[in-house]
Amino acid sequence: MTSYSKEVIADLVAGTLPWPQTRRIMSAYKDDDRFFKYVAVLQDRVGWKDPILLPVGDHLFICQSGDERVTKCECGHSFGDYRRNWKLKAAIIVRDTEETLREIYPNSDLPDPDWMEIREFICPECGTLHEVEAAAPGYPIVHDFEPDLEGFYRDWLGKPLESSTRAIPGKA
Amino acid sequence: MLDKPASALRIRERLIESERLMEETGCYDGITELQLRNQDPLKFETLHTKLRAYCVSAREMARRISASPGVREVGEMVVAIYTPEGDAIALSNGIMVHVHTMSRFIKWMIRNGYEENPQIRDGDIFANNDAFIGTVQVPDVMDVMPIFHSGKLVGWAGAVCHELEAGGITPGGDVALAQERFTEGLFVCAEKVGQNDELRRDYVIRCERNLRMPIYWVLDEKAKVASCIDMRESVKALIDEIGLDYWMQVSKEFIEEGRRAQLARTRQLTVPGIYRGHTFYGHVTKGKPGYQPLGDPDWLYNIPIEMEITSDGKIKMDFEGTQPWGYHSMNCTPAGMDGGMFVTLTQHMNFEGLVNDGAWMATELKLPHGTWTNPDNEMVATATSWALLLPAYGVFQRLLSRSFIARGFVEEAFVGQVNSPMIEMGGTSQYGTPFGMAHFECAAAGSGALAIKDGLDTAYVGWNPESDMGNIEIWEQNMPMLYIGRSIVPNSGGAGKYRGGCSFLSTWLVSKTDHLRLVTSEHSSRVFDNGGLCGGYPAPTCQKHRAVRDSNIFELAENGAPLAHHTGTNPYRSELEVRLEGEHVTLEGPYITAPHKTGDVFTHSYNGGGGYGDVLERDPVKTARDVENGFLTREAAEGIFGIVLDEDEEGFPVANLEATKRHRAEMRAKRLAHARPVSEWMAKERERVKAAGFAPEVKKMYASAIKLSPRFTKDFSTFWDVDAKSTFGVE
Repeated sequence: MTSYSKEVIADLVAGTLPWPQTRRIMSAYKDDDRFFKYVAVLQDRVGWKDPILLPVGDHLFICQSGDERVTKCECGHSFGDYRRNWKLKAAIIVRDTEETLREIYPNSDLPDPDWMEIREFICPECGTLHEVEAAAPGYPIVHDFEPDLEGFYRDWLGKPLESSTRAIPGKA
Repeated sequence: MLDKPASALRIRERLIESERLMEETGCYDGITELQLRNQDPLKFETLHTKLRAYCVSAREMARRISASPGVREVGEMVVAIYTPEGDAIALSNGIMVHVHTMSRFIKWMIRNGYEENPQIRDGDIFANNDAFIGTVQVPDVMDVMPIFHSGKLVGWAGAVCHELEAGGITPGGDVALAQERFTEGLFVCAEKVGQNDELRRDYVIRCERNLRMPIYWVLDEKAKVASCIDMRESVKALIDEIGLDYWMQVSKEFIEEGRRAQLARTRQLTVPGIYRGHTFYGHVTKGKPGYQPLGDPDWLYNIPIEMEITSDGKIKMDFEGTQPWGYHSMNCTPAGMDGGMFVTLTQHMNFEGLVNDGAWMATELKLPHGTWTNPDNEMVATATSWALLLPAYGVFQRLLSRSFIARGFVEEAFVGQVNSPMIEMGGTSQYGTPFGMAHFECAAAGSGALAIKDGLDTAYVGWNPESDMGNIEIWEQNMPMLYIGRSIVPNSGGAGKYRGGCSFLSTWLVSKTDHLRLVTSEHSSRVFDNGGLCGGYPAPTCQKHRAVRDSNIFELAENGAPLAHHTGTNPYRSELEVRLEGEHVTLEGPYITAPHKTGDVFTHSYNGGGGYGDVLERDPVKTARDVENGFLTREAAEGIFGIVLDEDEEGFPVANLEATKRHRAEMRAKRLAHARPVSEWMAKERERVKAAGFAPEVKKMYASAIKLSPRFTKDFSTFWDVDAKSTFGVE
């Protein structure tokens, strides 16, 4: 079975692994033991102790925080229950004018702000830009990812999570 | 009729039986155990490798027969081997999107009684380019030939070439002006076009009399027939070696193996759950010359996609909430949608193991009837179906990438493909003859970023993973235009920690003709049709077309004065305006206008890919190299990425790491100061939604999605706490 050291995975995730080695990893059979090494690499990166259960972005993780499972920024800011759309608890900058779009597209022809806007979802604590949506005005904010967390651990990883019976906040 | 079917059943009954077995057992053709694989895995794998080699070899041979630079230069071709029932066993590289669409074509003939009439015999050649039978659009012409062994039908060999000219109302094949199918060109609807290994003369005459440049189509037909015969003979020789019974069983086991491998791959690489994303396509057509009355309005399409990965590894893609079909050329058929799924899987998940129709069987597409993904009217045009198909499968790539990131396979995360704006032309060639062709340098755009590195610059499109823009000298042989520039467009990749791949722009001088019609298509105006991931921005897509009529370029050249070789980086005054005199034209969206003539100058640009990650994390040293090489401007490096560049003794940019750190801290603080809680923004935005205070095209988009989709209506109503139907006046 293909397997890599935690150090190699750390370099790969950081984008610092030399390209020839990265290319070999891309071309080889995938390593079945990747997930837990990956999570361990990410756990080393964060400054908090809550165990990471699932990465959902570059700096965004579902983690076990006490008896809650929350979506958390790498800085430690919590966006609340992971079953809720974290974006609704984020800070936002909307680019819906030629002037603000031009800041990102200095030499290009621009979209028509009456047809399309850019929404930047930002951690209100550290200012990390977690996600960018390009959408027509009035389009509902999308909930990108609702993982079957318990099914994943139980059926695919063979390591069931301890059950959590907490209801989704705000739902009966 | 068949001389002798491979089984006691006729092939139509066999097809129905195969589908019943799949339904009952969940396994392809009822194969619940891979007996031959278990008996001798090495023989099993070796045989499949041989089949793949047959395909790759046949395609390479065919490319050398073809006269079309699209096939020769860019590789717009694919070949495959099928079971008697029409399921793909093995395929070549190339435009793999058509492997499954050919499968649909074969099954369509079987279901429609072709055994009886026109009969299926050894040496027959069947062709099709009707997307409601099985292809994506008219220029994708497919030929299949039955493979008989010992008088029995034992499979099919098939080949597809993308034709550069399809005989529509505008030259080329992606006929942007098509309002209904009657304007799209020469249709060949599952016809027997040859017998005894030879194309029928009457078919060739029909092509010669209905195409602007029949040499491409006719020689491509010969190339396809040659490749089919080559594969057929190879398969027959293989059957001589391994025995007919073994072949009939192993060919089906290959497909079941492919299905199982796909499920296993999904379980290995992804995380189960629900994934969502969307994209948009904006097309500016209103009042443009040539558009017919029903096709005249401007269009804004929303394409929401919900992907479910089930616990058994099945991938389900649901297009509910997308727009209805329309009287324009951007509709797609289920065959095209299947093709999009197939080509994405072959690139992003099946990079090892058996690639065939089995992988497609491990997926499910939900294509709501009446939408552009599944029109309930077979008269609709599909000539530029890629306009919506490419953005849609770009979303699929981003959704898959989200799952790769969650699972830890960051090296496979890929922000996705973008649209491929296309230029086509016709009129009088530089040789004084009538001509028409599509320029296929669009087969090399910028790709989306990866989660570990920048995207590919000018080297990727989703529909042809070989992605080659072709040699300038070859293109110049085929069109009355000379390149005066082909250059990278700075900042054309979406910004991010890793930027998207950059696009390029071509600038031509019209030469030796007094009649050149130019038409561009698949060009989303006014909206982004791609996106970024994890904080990356979409790539710009709204590139306008710029032309100079009656330019003074010959005079400038004679005087040795500087010429314009690109449009430059000033969005308010292009290099063409700075360097050239003449009638300057700037057009948004598709370019369709009066013919050009010698001395005119024209530019066309392609798309870049979306970015990955927060821009403020981009590597300053790498950025300095980007600026030096023209992929980014200094202005963008500082303004978007917060990277301060100094110059070394020779004037080359060097990153100032300390100044960059300070500048980025300021930018981050500014970002936080400008941002407001989403809840606050939503409260204000809700008032706008309640008043439906949007542009007419936006309102039309919402109204049509609400009319078609109860789920979209519910989601919209719930999110904004409004009655979506009454808000947009939908009964």
